[in-house]
Amino acid sequence: MNIVVAIKHIPSIADDLPVSGNNVDFDSVDFVMNEWDEQSIEQAVLIKEAVGGTVTVIGVDLIEELDNALHLALAKGADKAVKITADEPGADSHMQAKWLAEAIKGMSPDMVFAGVQASNDIDGQIGPILAAYLDMPYIGGTSSVEASDGSAMVVKEFAGGAGAKYSVGLPFVAGIQAAPKPPRYAPISKVRQIAQTATIDKVEPSGDASGRLSFKKMAPPVVTGHAEMIEGSSKEVAAKIVELIKSKGLA
Amino acid sequence: MLTTVEKIIFIILALTSVGFTYHGFKTIFDSIRKGRSAPELKNVPINLVKAAITVLFQRTIFKARKGLSAIHMGLFFGLITYAFVNLIDVLEGFVPGFELIYGGKNLSNAPTGLVNAFNLISDVMSGFLLIAITVFFVRRFITKDKALMYRDNVLLNEKVKAGAQNSDSLTVDVFVVMHVSAHLMTQAFRLNEGPDPFMPVASFLNSIFGASQTGVHVAWWISLGWVMFIIPYLSRSKHTHFFMSPINLGLAKQNPRGQLDPAVPLKVLNGNHHDPGAKHIHDLAWTRVLDAYACVQCNRCQDVCPANFQGRPLSPSALEVNKRYLLKEATFGSHPDRLLLPLTETVISPEAVWSCTTCYACVRVCPVGNEPMADIVDIRRRMLIDGAELDSGVQNALQSLATNGNWMSKGKRLRGKWAKDMEFPVKDATAEPVEHLWFVGDTASFDERVVPNTKMVARIFNQAGLDFGIMYKEESNAGNDVRRVGEEGLFEQLVEQNMAAFGKAQFQRIVTTDPHSFNTLKNEYPQFGSQWEVKHYTVTLLRLFEEGKLTVKNKLSHYKVTFHDPCYLGRYNGGFTAPRKLLGLLGVEFIEMPRNCENSFCCGAGGGQIWMGKVAPGERPAENRIKEALTTFGEGASGKAQLFIVTCPKDMIMYSDAVKTTGNEGKIEVRDIIQLIAEAVGVEEPKVAEAVPA
Repeated sequence: MNIVVAIKHIPSIADDLPVSGNNVDFDSVDFVMNEWDEQSIEQAVLIKEAVGGTVTVIGVDLIEELDNALHLALAKGADKAVKITADEPGADSHMQAKWLAEAIKGMSPDMVFAGVQASNDIDGQIGPILAAYLDMPYIGGTSSVEASDGSAMVVKEFAGGAGAKYSVGLPFVAGIQAAPKPPRYAPISKVRQIAQTATIDKVEPSGDASGRLSFKKMAPPVVTGHAEMIEGSSKEVAAKIVELIKSKGLA
Repeated sequence: MLTTVEKIIFIILALTSVGFTYHGFKTIFDSIRKGRSAPELKNVPINLVKAAITVLFQRTIFKARKGLSAIHMGLFFGLITYAFVNLIDVLEGFVPGFELIYGGKNLSNAPTGLVNAFNLISDVMSGFLLIAITVFFVRRFITKDKALMYRDNVLLNEKVKAGAQNSDSLTVDVFVVMHVSAHLMTQAFRLNEGPDPFMPVASFLNSIFGASQTGVHVAWWISLGWVMFIIPYLSRSKHTHFFMSPINLGLAKQNPRGQLDPAVPLKVLNGNHHDPGAKHIHDLAWTRVLDAYACVQCNRCQDVCPANFQGRPLSPSALEVNKRYLLKEATFGSHPDRLLLPLTETVISPEAVWSCTTCYACVRVCPVGNEPMADIVDIRRRMLIDGAELDSGVQNALQSLATNGNWMSKGKRLRGKWAKDMEFPVKDATAEPVEHLWFVGDTASFDERVVPNTKMVARIFNQAGLDFGIMYKEESNAGNDVRRVGEEGLFEQLVEQNMAAFGKAQFQRIVTTDPHSFNTLKNEYPQFGSQWEVKHYTVTLLRLFEEGKLTVKNKLSHYKVTFHDPCYLGRYNGGFTAPRKLLGLLGVEFIEMPRNCENSFCCGAGGGQIWMGKVAPGERPAENRIKEALTTFGEGASGKAQLFIVTCPKDMIMYSDAVKTTGNEGKIEVRDIIQLIAEAVGVEEPKVAEAVPA
């Protein structure tokens, strides 16, 4: 089974998100791997462990710091790592999907995985656009993918707990919501060893595409007021609440 | 005394016994030698002599169970005496006319006084041995002391579960009773001229049974014949303890308590690939394979284990007994294949592995110098490398530590935020020289419940004119608990990050508010090139008082306080006095809890437990500790506020929670020592500025 996992590097929100002009200040923010991509990698490695094959992880190197994420993926069981050397921190999903598609085309994959969405744009676009460029069917929001005799069994979970099982012909693109098991931990000694020995293939970005969207404004939420903490014994607090309700004309 | 035929039979029996005993101990030593190399042991002969002295005075057992320890001491002296008694018995059997009764009057030139003394000692010791063994027999088989048992959820070797330890005990109990009684009878039957005042017990028996030459022969054979069987048996039972515990004590851990053995022994690493940690029993350092043979399953370690207290499936003693049975089945039995089973199936369950708080109480209390905790860390190390599924909380913490340098998923730049919010500038030690580099740690930097105390430490340092700075975003978690969770690679990464940060800074010493950081910075960082003196803030504060840079303005006699020794400050690093001296200066009424200093009881947060997503059921160690404090304060209001004083940010969280969950709010309050110092020296939090009306 030849599985390609497309990952996305996104600004970290561990810090307060710095904003500059009408977009994120890319120079002063750390980038991390999209959390759904961790699920994709786990899903791919689980299939490889079950039926054999190779897992190739590919991503667009937006700020020349993608290596760490790729090393982590290799430590978790991926076999090959590829980075598209774009150096364009603001590249949107359309742009990234185009570059990814051009790079993936020659790999003749059986399955292409992308995280179902990423928290920077919450668009869920990479998977579907990839499928369109690669001329493959797309199934998104999966909770389990299993390889079985030239096709795949895919499970999706819907709101309310109902689940559905699909048989999907190869090759296809899947937007991974969750792997059947939590993403494994990669011991740092392994990651560091890989960082010293692994080779990451570099691919020039090829093609051009745009979602024709542009940022007009980005700003942290405006603080409009503070919650007032009522202190005192439960009786005092209750009295104050009653008083407040009355003063607002609600009783 | 013996006939020629008897002599021949005895010699054949003795040679056979020696053969089996040699085989037994050779098997054991071969098995021990298969263990991995241990950190280099220095001055081994001297340490073995020291251990022999320790054993002679039975020093280490008195750390717990004083009464039973005294009985053990009696048993020990009794058995030592019997080594000589048996020698004399053999001589009496083989040398015609050699008898020590009546002061050895049948011997020419016998030192009568010495012989009488020996007779008296051996006679009295015989009686004492019988009493001691009866006490132990009653404790195990009649009153069935729970301390000798294991919880149902603890992984146990099938043989142990089926009572193999009890049959070992019974065998030795019966042996001692038979052997000692038979020896006494031998002497009693010899007394053909009435009682010997230096042999009161034998004389008493003689008054009942009289003297008899046949009796002497029969009793002699029962007494000495038994020995020939029991010695080889000992090498195959838990009573290897008799021989291996002094050796184990002489070869016990020599590096500081707070310094873990490396994940891969350097000698092994030399040129060869070796996975870190332990999957199989012989992945453990040979000194820790030896531990299994030294352990007699007294379960003192289990008594002090916070995880076991809570009802979790961990018993350090079960770990050791399982190790020995695994080795026994492989070497004396027919299951060498079992040595290749994972330790997590044979000696300790994965749940138990992840229950350990690395508080060191088990290692500290062990009379024979065993290190079950080190085994657990080694097992964790290999589980991590082998991709065992981790608790989600632990995994999140480790992932955050790898990317953010802290376990709270906060950005590096937020680390010094508390300092930027202070009313005075806090120096950046990576930008300007300072005398004291304050290593703040994760909890004190980020946790909202602890940050007010962190700020107070800064204010007090500032008030005292201490030249200090912090490293802001350059500081990473020190890695103490990362290492103890078994993530050696991440630990090394964190050490490198911190060492690089230290390299940018100019300072003379490190001061920490967190005992965990303190431990690894002090004991483990030197192996990575750190050469700085490391102080816990209690020591620094005490010095500031002693130098007059801080003075007590308000005596705090309105407080009744007790103090909890954090594991990594107290038991690991002996930091007992500074906090107590500080409390003394402040003028509080101080009461010591029963479990204090070395015997302090863990809060349950260490070794990665604070990261666990899954909460184990049962009374938590911290809850038990709060109850202990309340019992110490006693009933009846004294009119004083009752405070539980801590000197560790994790303790602040654990015990504040425990006060709430035990419903003791209002009765006891948890405070960091810095809060009391602030009150005493008169430093207050600045008033929060009123919001300017719009």
